Order: sequence, then structure tokens, then C-alpha cells
Amino acid sequence: MKIIKNMFDSRRKHFVKGGKLERLYPIFEATETFFFFPAHGTQTGPHVRDNLDLKRFMSFVILALMPPFLFGIYNTGYQCHLASALSTDFISVFLRGIYIVLPLVIVSYGVGFFWEFVFAVVRKHPISEGFLVTGLLFPLTLPPTLPLWQAAVGISFGVVIGKEIFGGTGRNILNPALTGRAFIFFAYPVRMSGEVWTVISGKAVDTFSGATPLALAGLTAASDTVETFLAKSGLTFSKLFLGNYPGTVAGTSSLLCLIGAVILITVGIASCRIIIGGVLGMLVTGFALNLLATQASMPYLSLNPFYHLVMGGFAFGITYMATDPVSAPGMDTAKWIYGFAIGALTVLVRVFNPAYPEGVMLAILFMNIFAPLLDHFEIRLRLKRRIVNVG
Amino acid sequence: MISVTIKKGYDLNIEGKPSSDSEDLPKPEYVAVLPEKIPFIIPRLSAEKGDKVKIGSVLFEDKRHPEVKFLSPGGGEITDMEFGPRRIVKAIVIRLDETESFETFDSISESGLEKIGREELLQILLGRGVWQFIRELPFRDIARHDKIPPAIFVTSDDGEPFQPDPAVYLKGKKELFEFGIRILSKLAKTVHVVGAVRRPATTEELDGLITHTCKGPYPAGDAGVMIYHTKTASSENRSWYICAQDVLTIAQSLKSGVYSVERVMVLAGSASIERKHIRTRAGVPLEHLVRGRVKTGDVRYVVGGIFRGYTAPKESYMGFYETSLTLLPESREPQPFGFLSPGFTKPTYFRTFLSALSRSDLAMDCNLHGDVRACINCGSCAQVCPVDILPQFAFKCVLADEVEEFLEQGLLDCAECGLCTYLCPSKIEVCKILRDAKAKYYKEQG
Ligand code: SF4
Ligand code: SF4
Repeated sequence: MKIIKNMFDSRRKHFVKGGKLERLYPIFEATETFFFFPAHGTQTGPHVRDNLDLKRFMSFVILALMPPFLFGIYNTGYQCHLASALSTDFISVFLRGIYIVLPLVIVSYGVGFFWEFVFAVVRKHPISEGFLVTGLLFPLTLPPTLPLWQAAVGISFGVVIGKEIFGGTGRNILNPALTGRAFIFFAYPVRMSGEVWTVISGKAVDTFSGATPLALAGLTAASDTVETFLAKSGLTFSKLFLGNYPGTVAGTSSLLCLIGAVILITVGIASCRIIIGGVLGMLVTGFALNLLATQASMPYLSLNPFYHLVMGGFAFGITYMATDPVSAPGMDTAKWIYGFAIGALTVLVRVFNPAYPEGVMLAILFMNIFAPLLDHFEIRLRLKRRIVNVG
Repeated sequence: MISVTIKKGYDLNIEGKPSSDSEDLPKPEYVAVLPEKIPFIIPRLSAEKGDKVKIGSVLFEDKRHPEVKFLSPGGGEITDMEFGPRRIVKAIVIRLDETESFETFDSISESGLEKIGREELLQILLGRGVWQFIRELPFRDIARHDKIPPAIFVTSDDGEPFQPDPAVYLKGKKELFEFGIRILSKLAKTVHVVGAVRRPATTEELDGLITHTCKGPYPAGDAGVMIYHTKTASSENRSWYICAQDVLTIAQSLKSGVYSVERVMVLAGSASIERKHIRTRAGVPLEHLVRGRVKTGDVRYVVGGIFRGYTAPKESYMGFYETSLTLLPESREPQPFGFLSPGFTKPTYFRTFLSALSRSDLAMDCNLHGDVRACINCGSCAQVCPVDILPQFAFKCVLADEVEEFLEQGLLDCAECGLCTYLCPSKIEVCKILRDAKAKYYKEQG
């Protein structure tokens, strides 16, 4: 450790004010603080400070992402081997998963950090740890079949348009990872429609369809229920819940997202109001639609609402995307409404516009836009209760 | 008795809290007054270097209100006047004589007090250098004596871990304290004496005098917090407040006819070897309090408490209002991969370190524990704000210079407690931003 520390100390002079690499200070700072908790002292009272900093904060989000991430690697490899009639033993499947997923992650981090560095240097602000999360979230929401260059374009869009245009971390209205994903969804619809999201190695087996549950659900014929139609394709409720079916890299397993949600809520980083609100919104809307459903109407209307919870990456979205504090509202009641609306909108988009299976993504982005407004109303109400103090 | 419960706030589990033992210190060689550390005043000197002064001689007055006089806390010779940039008077240092002489005033007896009118009492308090112990909310400047305040709050404990325990300085002084309360009662419509539930000994000591009890974590019991939770109309915003120990000083000064310089102070903090109460006098040198009882290594001397106090060089002196000296270790060496450690010994408000499993006291140093980042709207600051401000929104209004907006957000209710800054994971100086904005607004109002 001493050696690394000396290395930083001897290089510092180039980066501080007056040094020849002064402009690159943010990069130096980011690298140094990655290795060491800095020893900066407090300048004013309070003279002691809490131990939590943004790096720790974001590390916990990454930790909570590990269960769906690791499973996602496994599942991606598993689906590939299944569809290509290769051996499905754990090791080879996992290695295959790494082989497919890792390039996406590397491209996302690499390209994303490049933009972070550029903006940090131009704007002379430190590099925010927030990107550690964005850079991992983004590839996890992609179909494993996505070409790497499209991933690179997507993350660039997410970081530059989703975040830096607004003035950087903390000022962005939209969740950057989702913005990037939405861009790919609209720019390259063929890749994202959910028809074929399984990487094929060699030749696909004959029976392989590879369609995702949402794509299937949209295809259900009027005489059938969605549940039985899904079951015919081998997608039972428990399978949807566990996640061993084709889908985005890490968005398939509701179970593991649930574990992630428990971690985040336990350490107090994600708001349980948003998550529970989202689940409630989804169930309530789902039941309400059930009431509307008649024999002749779309079968999607009568889908058991619990199916909505386990399909289409909802669990992943509500756990990791909707709870991003920057793009979510800050006030307590606003958080309930925000979560609830995300759940409700997700169902509505899915049911009434099956061409857009990405209900949860659109719902979150839409509510991101409304988050400041929700906050605004709640703050107004709150301020009304204050006794005016103008000195 | 009215009881007030304050839900928000936070008690630090910091190591090095003082015991309730107290020791008497011999006379120091020097004492000093630090005009620079008295908020808002503009000092105009009436003495100069080399002058012989008595205890109670006028050293300077506040240019804004020349009737507010600051008296010498010692008898002897002014050996030093320290000036800062732009000729700000930093310190007036007095070398004490073997036997000090003091100015004498008329002493006022219990019955004498009854005959004195409000105006006359004001003049007495002003002339004897004790008026300035009474301060006015929301800006915490010296009270304006031309106004009758809606109430005076006598505060004793706000849960700051390093302030003197009121039970120590009030012990056996109930009568004197009662006299002080009678003095204050002549100045305002009502006097509220606030006792803290966490200090039952004070309540016993002041049996029958306490009008409000407050319960809750730091800073419950602070004047600003108390007024926020008890006020029913805007007119109460300009209430006055005074610390219980200063009530004793006022009472003693009037009763004895001599400017009272006795004080009970606290020496504590994890870098201090002994942590206890100390009976000494106003304006003593910090070294005199410490007397070598400090751990080796880089130590920060904090005068006035870890939340609101300031850093002072160890050659400095105690300030006019301050009664707490906290010695804290300066920030340590950088820690390799600090953000990955389990954190059994890292105190935190949050639950991201395993220390959250227990509330036992832990050592804390002056490390910022991170770097300044943009606000991520995590809302933690609003969870602890004792006066229901939304610091994350208020400070952004301040930075955007939206005066109307930040007043509406309740900026002036801010108790300047520092909790928002303490726990901000983005290490933003929220409290400083709000405090400075308040002071600026006050100065602009004139
Ligand atoms: S805004 Fe900050 S400093 Fe002011 S009272 Fe609230 S927590 Fe304390
Ligand atoms: S604690 Fe800091 S980062 Fe969190 S909302 Fe408050 S100011 Fe923003």
C-alpha cells in the first residue's frame, strides 16, 4: 500500500494548480480516492463528519446488483447453450455467460468513463461515483444479443444527453442508464423488440423460439389466456419468478432483484416507499383491469396482476432504476405517488400498447420527468404549515 | 410544566465525553478577550496596549450600539493587542497582577431589585458588561434593548456532548439562579426556563423553576429549536435567549457589585487525557485548561463544541460565550480502500457500516471521510433537521440567491446545529451555507 501511496504523492505535483497536468486533476483525484480514503480534514464545524461518503453509498448499490448480475451471467450462458444444444453444465455455461456479458460491461464502463472524464476535465468538477452504478446498470438491462457498438452509442447518449446536458450528476432529471437504454430502444427497434434475445452459438435447435414473455404475452390470441399461452411456451409463474428464461442480461429474475431490494432497503439506500408503492401500483391497476376485462376483449386485460410483477424486468427497474435518488422525488409522500404511478403506468403501457413491451422503462422515465413536480407540490403543502419567519 | 418532544435530531456516539467531576484551577497568568469571536459586533477600543486595567474596566464597546460595553475579565496590564487582517481586533491580552483590583458598582439586593424600573435595570445591565449574554433569535446577535421581547428562553442543555453539565454549575446556586430569573422577568413578558429530560439532575437542582422540559436528541433544548416547536405566531420569532450559566453571571454581577468572571468549563474529547469539568475564569488560556493533559500526535483544539465551535491555535484563549474545549485527533493517514471496510469502528448515522449495529461510543477524528460531490438528493439532511427545514432545497435556493424562496423555506428557523452537514454523504457544507446566508440577510436588513 505504501508503494501505491508514494506513487500518488510523487505524481501529485503535476496535477495540482500550476502543475503541467493541472487540467487532468479530476482524473488524478478519482484514481487516488479509489485507492485511499482521503485524509482531508474538516474546515468548519461540525468538526467531525459521518463516515458515509458517496463512494460507499454507490458501492452498496453495486453490491446489491451482484445477485442479479451473477445470475444474469449464468442465465445468459445457459439460454445460449440451451438454444444451441450445447452442454448445460454449470462451469461451461457460466464461462459462456462471462464471454457474452463481460464485453457489454467493459464497453459500457469504458465509453461511459471516457465521457465522464471529458466532462470532468472541461467543467473542472470531480468525477462522480454515480457512474460506477450507471455503468453497470446499463448493460444489465440490455439484451445479450446487442452489438457492442450499439451499447457504446447507448451509454454515450445516456451520459451525455441524460446527465451532462443537465449539468452533471445531481442535476439530471432522467436516470442516465435508462435514458441510454431508451435511446437504443427507439433507435434500433429491431434489436430491442424482444423477439430473439438469446445468443446463439453455432446452430439453433429447431424448437427454439427465444421470445421474451412480454413479446409472447402480446401475441396471445383472444381465445386464450395469457397465463396458459405463456405456460405453453414453458413459462410458468415460478419460472418467471426465478428467472431462468431468455431476457435482458439481469432483468429476468424477480427473486434476485427482491434480494437486492432487501439489501438496499436494509442499509437505507433505496427508498422502500418507491419499491412498495410500485408493487402496489402494479397490483391495484392489474386488478382494476381484470374488472374491465370481458370475454371478448384483449386477453392481456385479464392477466393475473402478479404475473405483471415478474415479467419484463419490472422487478429490476423498480429496485435499481426507480430508486435512483437523483431522478426520484425527495419527499416522502411524493415517493409513494411516484412508485405507485410507475407500477400503474407499466401495466397500462403493456396492456394497451403491446407493441411497446418496455412498459417499465417508459413508466420510470415518464415519472422521472414528473418527480420535480411531485416534490414541488408536497413542499408547497409543507411550507404552508410553517409559521412565517422573516426576522 | 410544558413538555416538548423533538423527534428529529441525532445524538452522536462519539468517544471522549466529560465526566461530571470538577476541579478547581489556580489563577492563570494571563486572560484575554477575543472580540473577533463575538458574532456581528464591531469593536471600538477604549484601552490600549500598556494600560493598567481592573476587573470590570471597559476594554471596548460595540460601535453599532456603543452602550454595549465589554469589560476586562482580569486586573493587570494589557500586554498585547493582536490585530488581524483589516485591523480586526483579534485578542486583548491582560497579564494578571498578583492581587487584582476591580471596579465596584452598587450591589443590588433582592428587595432592591423590586424597586428598580425596567429602563434603569437595562442601564445597569449594559453598564456592567453583562447585557450581551442575552441574545436575540433568529440571528443570535446581542439582544436589542430598545425592544420588549415576546419571551426569554433560558437554555441549559441542547445535547451537545461536550458542553458543561448544568447540574455542575447550578449546584447549590438555586437562590442565585432564581434572582437571575427575577432580573430577566423584568425585561420580558415571560421567561421560559428549559430543562432537558436527559439531565434529570438539573431538574432536581432547579426544582420548581423549570417551565419547559424537552425531550429528544441533539439539538433539542436549543433556543431556536424550542421556539420553533412552541411558537404559535410569527411575533415570537424575535424571542431572546440566554444560557443558564450566564444567568448566574448576571445575577452574581448585580448582587455582588463586581463583574463576575467565574466560569465552569469542560475539557473533553478523545485526544484529551482527562475529561472533566473545570472551575476557572473567563478568558483563560487554552493551555491553562489543558495543562499538558493532551495525547501526543496532531490534535485539534475546538472551542465551543464540535458542532458549532471553531478551531483555535493552542496558544489561544477561551472566548466570551464559550465554555467548552474539545480536543480531537486531526484526520489520520489516508486509508487504503477505505470504502470497502466493514466499518465496525466507523460511527455513522446510516446503516452502511457494521458499527450501526451498536450505539457504543466510538473515537472520531476530524476527517471529512470523503470528498465534496454534488447533492444526490438523498434526503438524509431533512430526516434530522430539528426545525423541519429541507436543507437540500434550502441550500440550493441560497446558492441561486433566491431570497424570497429561502425565507419561505424557513431559513431563519435554522438552529445552525450542523447536523445536516455532519451526515451529508456528498460532504456539502450545508449548515455553513445556510448560516452565512442568514448572517448576510441580517446585515443587509441593517
Ligand atoms: S438546516 Fe441544518 S443546521 Fe439548520 S437546523 Fe436544520 S439540520 Fe440544523
Ligand atoms: S444529505 Fe447532502 S446529498 Fe443528501 S440531500 Fe442533503 S445535501 Fe443532498
